[in-house]
Amino acid sequence: MIATEWYLMLSAGLFCIGLLGILMRRNALIFLMSVELMLNAANINLVAFSLQHGNLSGQVFALFGMALAAAEVAVGLGIILVLYRNFGDIDVTSPTTMRW
Amino acid sequence: MAGIYDLVPAIAALPLASFVIALFAGKDLPKKGALPGILATAGSLALSLAVAVTVFTTGEGFNQNLYTFVAGQDTFSLHLGVLIDPLSALMLVIVSLIATLVHVFSLGYMNDEGETGLPRYYAGLGLFTFSMLSFVFANNILMAFMFFELVGLCSYLLIGFWFREAGPPSAAKKAFLVTRFGDYFFLVGVVAIFATFGTGAFAGSESFPHLAELALEGEYDVNTFFGLGEQAWFTVLGLLVLGGVMGKSAQFPFHTWLPDAMEGPTPVSALIHAATMVAAGVFLVARMYGFYALSPTALAIIALVGGFTALFAATMGVVKQELKQVLAYSTISQYGYMMLALGSGGYVAAVFHLTTHAVFKALLFLGAGSVIIAMHHNENMWDMGGLKDKMPVTYWTFLSGSLALAGIVPFAGFWSKDEVLYEALIHGLGTEGGLGIVLLAAYAMGLLAVFFTGFYTFRMVYLTFHGEPRSDIARDPEPVRWNVKGPLAVLGVLAATVGFINMVPVKKVTGLEIDYLHQFLDMAPEAYLTNVHHYTELLETDAFAGIHAATPLGEVGTVAASAAVSLGLALAGVLAARQLYNAPQPVEHTDRLGRVKTILMHNYYQDEYQVWLARDVTVPFAGVLDTFDQGIVDGVVNGASSVSRTAGRQVRKLQTGVVTNYAALLTLGLVLLLAAFAVVGGWV
Repeated sequence: MIATEWYLMLSAGLFCIGLLGILMRRNALIFLMSVELMLNAANINLVAFSLQHGNLSGQVFALFGMALAAAEVAVGLGIILVLYRNFGDIDVTSPTTMRW
Repeated sequence: MAGIYDLVPAIAALPLASFVIALFAGKDLPKKGALPGILATAGSLALSLAVAVTVFTTGEGFNQNLYTFVAGQDTFSLHLGVLIDPLSALMLVIVSLIATLVHVFSLGYMNDEGETGLPRYYAGLGLFTFSMLSFVFANNILMAFMFFELVGLCSYLLIGFWFREAGPPSAAKKAFLVTRFGDYFFLVGVVAIFATFGTGAFAGSESFPHLAELALEGEYDVNTFFGLGEQAWFTVLGLLVLGGVMGKSAQFPFHTWLPDAMEGPTPVSALIHAATMVAAGVFLVARMYGFYALSPTALAIIALVGGFTALFAATMGVVKQELKQVLAYSTISQYGYMMLALGSGGYVAAVFHLTTHAVFKALLFLGAGSVIIAMHHNENMWDMGGLKDKMPVTYWTFLSGSLALAGIVPFAGFWSKDEVLYEALIHGLGTEGGLGIVLLAAYAMGLLAVFFTGFYTFRMVYLTFHGEPRSDIARDPEPVRWNVKGPLAVLGVLAATVGFINMVPVKKVTGLEIDYLHQFLDMAPEAYLTNVHHYTELLETDAFAGIHAATPLGEVGTVAASAAVSLGLALAGVLAARQLYNAPQPVEHTDRLGRVKTILMHNYYQDEYQVWLARDVTVPFAGVLDTFDQGIVDGVVNGASSVSRTAGRQVRKLQTGVVTNYAALLTLGLVLLLAAFAVVGGWV
């Protein structure tokens, strides 16, 4: 039996990778992937605590989290498509026309 | 006999109905609204007479709130109500009588002359009569103020009746503004009276004059302001209300509007600017006389203003060339007499002179209207002359009014003016200290004005009716009909006889009890505290006004001497006018006055002075205030908005539009939050 701390450390690592991806990359597709990583870090937490407490609610929540991620990707890809059509690339720093 | 008193509101409601009818249906009616007006005012007259007779026979009054338009919780309420006592009953009769006669006269002056806009004219007259009658029977000072303002509005509307010409609208504005300036003080006074006493009632044991009396005796607590003592504060209140009185009754220095108001139709001048509305100010002082009787300072100011105005206006009347201008200055002067009487403790004398003046001055104005019809609206007396034989009814009635105005025995004005002067004299002699001196000074001015009154009145009569005609129109004047002659005849008889209601000198000499007006005014119910002996009591109390009477020659001797002096002066004035102007071709003798005449013709430069006050003092002062408003007040407001504008312009740069920045800030925030929790929670 692997101790819960390890799962949590894995989850924290994944989350940090995702966060760094958002903070440091400019490609919108990488953004989407980074968001997926952060969501899944959360899912790992849920499953790990479910295991520790012997309670299935966390696992059910993880399933919901995955469904949410799928939906989010669908919307995200749509946004990226529009981004490309309007600005010719998918660099997230280029659509700044709506700021002050 | 309570029945008749329930109909008192109808006295005012009838003219209101005629106002509505004339306004909305006047143009389809045969006489353009005159007939409803005549019927309504005649109805009011009948009811007023019935009320007056009831008061006279039963000695009962009526004092009731009819409608509460603001009901106060734990504080005072505001009412509309009716107060009928001898004073208001008498005034109701005067107002409705003159209004009826003026409506009839208007048939001749307006309808027969083919004026347009008559429904507007009759609507104005109806609204005025309604407002004036309501003012008269108002039982509290707020209601009185409301109708005081309404009569001012009607005056404005009717002076400006011929609004297509240049003069009338300007005169209307002037009348409105000058009286409004006085009413401003009146309004403050009304509010202050409510704040002080918590009531505005005129009569009864809960009325403000009585509460003031109790407060001065130390039996009642009132709120005074600005740290003033009770007597001083009541004087301030009295003077504030007096502002409205002086504006409305055209007392110096607010008299300048009245001569200009003669731009209005002559029947309007007779009704509003001679007999009734101008009387509203004097009536108001008489109505709350129990309050003024408490303050010697206020009485002294009233007497002084009255005496001065009487003389001041009479001197200007001497040089005027236009018939109505002479009458206008005469009106100002006569209201000065009434103020003089009120200020010197002659309550009955003031009401008496108010009554007789209403009759003879309305008569003179209507007579002037008749002359103006005959002269095709030329008012210059130097173009008249010789009208005596052409229009005998107008001449004889006008002569009756003139004798009354000049104060020649036995016409009405003699009895009332003599009583005014007599009261001022005996109270001036009997009162000690400054008030006595002021009363004597006011008496002296009033006495001097008697001579001028006789002079300008008969100068007017001789120039208009005697001598040779001095223009083609005067040689062939337009005839006037029954609707002009009828009212003149009624008033002409009254002007000769109305003085008999209060022949005080005859009473003093013969001992007969024939001072009926005095007895009538003394019949006010005890509970109202508006009767003459109560006022006399207040006046003679040294803690209040402290006015006493003294008759150095004995009662009979003093009254005879006073009457002889004033009659002698009046006759001297009349004879001087006869000497100078009763010639076939009179010349303008006042030219010999030289520069004095120039000053008099310019009304002592009062208009110029007031224009200067407005243009060279008020406008620059308003400019300074405008600068303050635009610069400082608006500056603060603009400054506040520009600070937030600038700050917003800087802070909005945070919104870069780059998602990465937002995410970085979010993360940073989270990290800081965690760090904060760590420190506070003691994790590290």
